[in-house]
Parts: sequence; C-alpha cells; structure tokens
Amino acid sequence: MSDLSASPTAAPRRISPHAKRGGVKAGENRFGILLLIPALTAFGLVVLFPFLEALRLSFYEFTIQMMSPEFVGLDNFRRILTDPTIIGSFVTTLIFVSLTTFFSITIGLGWALILNHPFRGQAMLRGLSLLPWVMPAVVAAFLWGWIFNSRYGLLNSLALDFGLIEYPVAYLSTNAGAMAAVVITKTWLSVPLFMAFFIAGLQNLDREQIEAARVDGAGNFHVLKDHVLPHLRPVMMVTVVLGIVGNLQHFDTIWALTGGGPVRATTVLSIEVYRRAFEQWDIGMAATVGVVWVATILPPAYFYLRQLMMRAE
Amino acid sequence: MADLKIEGLNKRYGSVSVLRDIDLTIEHGEFVVFVGPSGCGKSTLLRMICGLDDVTSGQLMLANEVINDVPSSKRGIAMVFQSYALYPHMSVADNMGYALKLAKTPKDEIESRVRNAAEILQIVPLLERKPRQLSGGQRQRVAIGRAIVREPDVFLFDEPLSNLDAALRVDMRMEFARLKDRLGTTMIYVTHDQVEAMTLADKIVVMHDGRIEQVGSPISLYNNPVNRFVAGFIGSPKMNFLAARFTDGAVAFQSGHLHMPHASARLTEIGIRPEHLRVGDDGEGVVQGRLVATEHLGSDTFAMVEVADSERPVMVRIPGERRIPHGSSLSLTFDAANVHMFDAEGTALPNETRRADAA
Repeated sequence: MSDLSASPTAAPRRISPHAKRGGVKAGENRFGILLLIPALTAFGLVVLFPFLEALRLSFYEFTIQMMSPEFVGLDNFRRILTDPTIIGSFVTTLIFVSLTTFFSITIGLGWALILNHPFRGQAMLRGLSLLPWVMPAVVAAFLWGWIFNSRYGLLNSLALDFGLIEYPVAYLSTNAGAMAAVVITKTWLSVPLFMAFFIAGLQNLDREQIEAARVDGAGNFHVLKDHVLPHLRPVMMVTVVLGIVGNLQHFDTIWALTGGGPVRATTVLSIEVYRRAFEQWDIGMAATVGVVWVATILPPAYFYLRQLMMRAE
Repeated sequence: MADLKIEGLNKRYGSVSVLRDIDLTIEHGEFVVFVGPSGCGKSTLLRMICGLDDVTSGQLMLANEVINDVPSSKRGIAMVFQSYALYPHMSVADNMGYALKLAKTPKDEIESRVRNAAEILQIVPLLERKPRQLSGGQRQRVAIGRAIVREPDVFLFDEPLSNLDAALRVDMRMEFARLKDRLGTTMIYVTHDQVEAMTLADKIVVMHDGRIEQVGSPISLYNNPVNRFVAGFIGSPKMNFLAARFTDGAVAFQSGHLHMPHASARLTEIGIRPEHLRVGDDGEGVVQGRLVATEHLGSDTFAMVEVADSERPVMVRIPGERRIPHGSSLSLTFDAANVHMFDAEGTALPNETRRADAA
C-alpha cells in the first residue's frame, strides 16, 4: 500500500550517478594500508631487521678472534643458564626494575594527588615538576653524579654540615650506594610522566562521586582507598607495565653514573649486552643476552598493548 | 522534631554574591521544593544545607542546633545527586550500604536495611549488579536507596529527574510523592522545572538571583504571586503580560480595555494566564489580536495571538480541538477576578475583585 514504486505515477527508478561500486566503504582499506607503508618500512628497517639479525646471531659463536661466525645452535642459551655473571645481571635487573617502578609509581601518584588540589602556585609547581622529563637523561645522570660525588658532592656536603657523617662517603663505590643512586636517578626521571598519567586520571574522576562519599561519611583515607584508587586502576595498570618495560630497557643514566659498577653491582641487562658486544666483542653472546632480554620485555609489553586496544574499542 | 532553620544566610565566592539574606524555616516532614531558573542559587543553598559548601555568613540550624561547621556526614542528612554519583566499582548493595559500613554498623543490620530500602524501591533483583549495568531510572532508584538506607532526618535532592526522559520523569515524580507519604521525612528538592515543583511540594521556595522571591503552597503561589517574576515562573504555559494604564475607572490597553473600577494608578502591566483567556467578547476585559500560530495537543488547543500590548504573542488555552485559520483576527476576553496587576517594579498590586470573590 505504501510502496511508492508500485504507484503508476512514480518515475522509473535508477541508480544515482554518484554511487560507488562496491559500497560506500569501498577502497577505504586499501587507502589505509597505503598510509601505513612508510611507518612499516621504517619499522622493518630499524626494528624488525636488526632484531631478526640478532636472533640469527644468537645461534652463532662470534668473537673478536674469529674471522666469521660459527653456528653453535642453542649453545649460547645453555651458557647463559650456567654463567653466574649473566644470571647475576638478571637478578640486578630484577632489583633495579622493581625498585624504580615501585618508587616512580608511588611518588608519581602521591605527587599527582597533591597537585590535583587547588592551591596558590599550583600551576607553577606542576610546570616545574615536568622539568626532569624534558632534561636529557645523560645530563640528569651527571647532575645526580655530582650530588653523590665522594669529594665535592652535595649530599656529602649537606650530611657533613648537619653532622650526620664525619668524613665524606663514596656512595657510588659501594654496591648498595650505587644501586640506590641509579634507582633514585631513574625514579626522578620517571616521576613526571607517571604524575601526568595520574593527574589525567584524577581529572576525570566524578566530583559528585567524591562528594557523595563525603556525605556518606568517608574521610580522606576512605576516599582514597574506596574511590580514588579504584578509579585509577586502569591508569595504574598502564603505568606499571610502562614502568616495567621502560626500566627493563634503561641504559643511559646507569652507564653515565656507574658504568655498571662498582664491579658488576649495577650491571643490568642493557649494560651487560653493551659490555659483551662492544667491550669484549663477544657478538654472539651479546645477541643471545639481547634475545633473552627482549623475551622478558615482551609479556608486559603485550599486556600494555592489549590494555590500550581494549580501551580503544 | 528536626526543623531546619536558615537565618540571614549569605554565600559569596570572592566578590561574587551568590546568595543574599536567605531566611527560611522548614518544618519536620515537609516536602519543600527550591525552584528557580539556572544560576539563581538554589543548588548552592542545597549544597550549603548538605555541608558541601561553606557558609559565608548567617546561620543554619537543624533541631535548634547551629550546624554551620558540622561536616556533612554528621548532619543526619542524605543527598541524592543530579548525576546520581553512584560508586561505579561497587555493586548496588555495596553502594547502598556504604555509609553504614563506614559507620561500622554490624553486617547483618546493613544487609537488612539495604534489603528493606531495596524493597521499598523495588530494586531487590538489582542488588548484585554494578551501576553501569543499570538503566537511568534504575540508577536513580539506587541513588535514592542509598539515601533511604541511612535513615536521615532530612533528604536532599539536587535536580534528581533532570537526566531522565520525559515518560520516566512522570513515573519517578509519582514515586517521589509515594516516598514522601511512606517515609514522612523532611525532603528538600531542587529543580528548575516548575511542574515538578507544583506536583510534589508542600511548600515551594521560588528563588531568583540569589534571593527568595516567595515561599508558599503551590496553589497560593499560583493564585497570589507577589511579583511579576513568580507570576511568570509558576504555571505552564507561562502567564501573559500586557502593558496597561489605569485611567478614569478603567484599565486601558492599546488594543482593548478592562472594566475594573478599583485598580491602582501605579498599574503598568497586567498578567493573565492562558487558561483564563477565551475567544469572545463577553468578559470584563477584551483585547483584539491576530492569530499567528496554533498548537494542537488533542485535549487542548493553544493559540498564539499577536496583541499590540505584548512583545510576545499572547498564549490562549482553548479546551478541546479547535481549528482557526492562521492570520485571522480574534477577540480575546477574560474576567477581572483572574487578572494579576503589577507596578513598574514588578510588584503585585491587590486585585479587589478577587478579594470580593474570595470573601
């Protein structure tokens, strides 16, 4: 009845000359792939190819005394499992990564909570807090190296002034002191980023929800525990993974500050690979450590990306 | 029992004065509605009663105790927020029991009180769900449930229906009326919707620009608004206003006249509600105009008539369905008893005809 085409006066139907063959979405995928080509090329050249090359080298023995690499199968991997120095590097890395990630996140969160409250000078302090972020890591390392310096360091000078110590202490020459120094430096560098994450999270916290909790009788502790932290949980997941991945890869400040020493006290995997490759010229072994290292980064990176993808949906 | 008394209350943010000299008494068990256009300070007043905003000066008293500086949670009040403000990561039951949990109430008592409130609001099947799994109306009920569970002396509602669609709003309005009868607790309700105010309130507080314009029952505000603002705000569709002059024992318009020997010489404007106008010329007042538009609701026909004495077209409510050709000239008529009169400041002037009627 309401079928207009059936009515005798209706004009004959035709397809609009603007119609696209294959539907309105036709060609969009092809165009998308086209847009990806430059990025994929760069990725292949600077990430994928070197990684595959390293993966290949990890099955070879190739040292400075050898003219060409010699295939040894899984021998390098077997050596890693039995070499106490490499296992030591894994332990050092574990300590470094857990301490830096823990402190960066707790301090970043605390700082974000403070800066989220309006007070005089808040904007300026927020801006200043980002300073470590924009500072080159090597500059930061020298800055902290100067603070920890055994002769003219700021820390020694202050401790002497307050009478806490009688003689200057060579912090960087003790195992614990050197580890503390690299952890503090990396934490100092990471806090701004995590703070920014948390502030962003805090700013979309529903103000009425907190007011409702206050009316319900929640004090600061319960507001934090029952409302702020659960609200920040997704941000927390991202920062933990990001922190772990970033700290696993970290190289520059440790290298500049301690060079992995004293002896091997701060030799994390990145330093280990660098030393194997460019000090001992044991390329095969360096590649193997690198491969194992990448394998430890992949799971957290995978969770991070999955988290991002899930939120994007 | 728990009367709420507000005396000389002021609120300033820096140099901006948001509320000025608010005096108000709310008796126990009353359903009071604060109504006014947005920015009139009604929500701020509610937030001050709740304890979410500081009092700049003046006193807030609950059951004869000054509560200016008492934290929200100790005031014996519960608030339902406009956004509902449910705790997203807690189940409905946990949302409702949260205040009791913080007050260290025994577990089984929390459970029975939550269940009781859930039964009142018919949300028992939802108790284990998370807020995001609920519809707007269900969330609204949970927010109310969270307030009921606390058994407060005073309930505060901040525009609780503004996020619901029209049909649900009518349903929930009925629920509020039922809840009022069932709980008998003092309730303060903020809205910008005068229909909500008229249908729910025992007492309406009309606010404008940080001041209280008038306090009274819905019908007294409808019948005897003290000024032009209240007259225009209460009633739907709005009251029509016509510029007028009083000379020689009659009120004169450009386009008509009104026989009213007792009017005041200060008269500059009269107000007449759409439901008190009719097409014809048999009443005490008559004005001429031209029909510009009609709205057909089935039950009523609203005619918009251009009249020389009013900037906006005059709205006329005609019962039933009437078809009148647009552009045609119309004569509108009304009775003197239904006329509201205002002076140049917008203050209402007494209508002697109405008094005689009432007597």
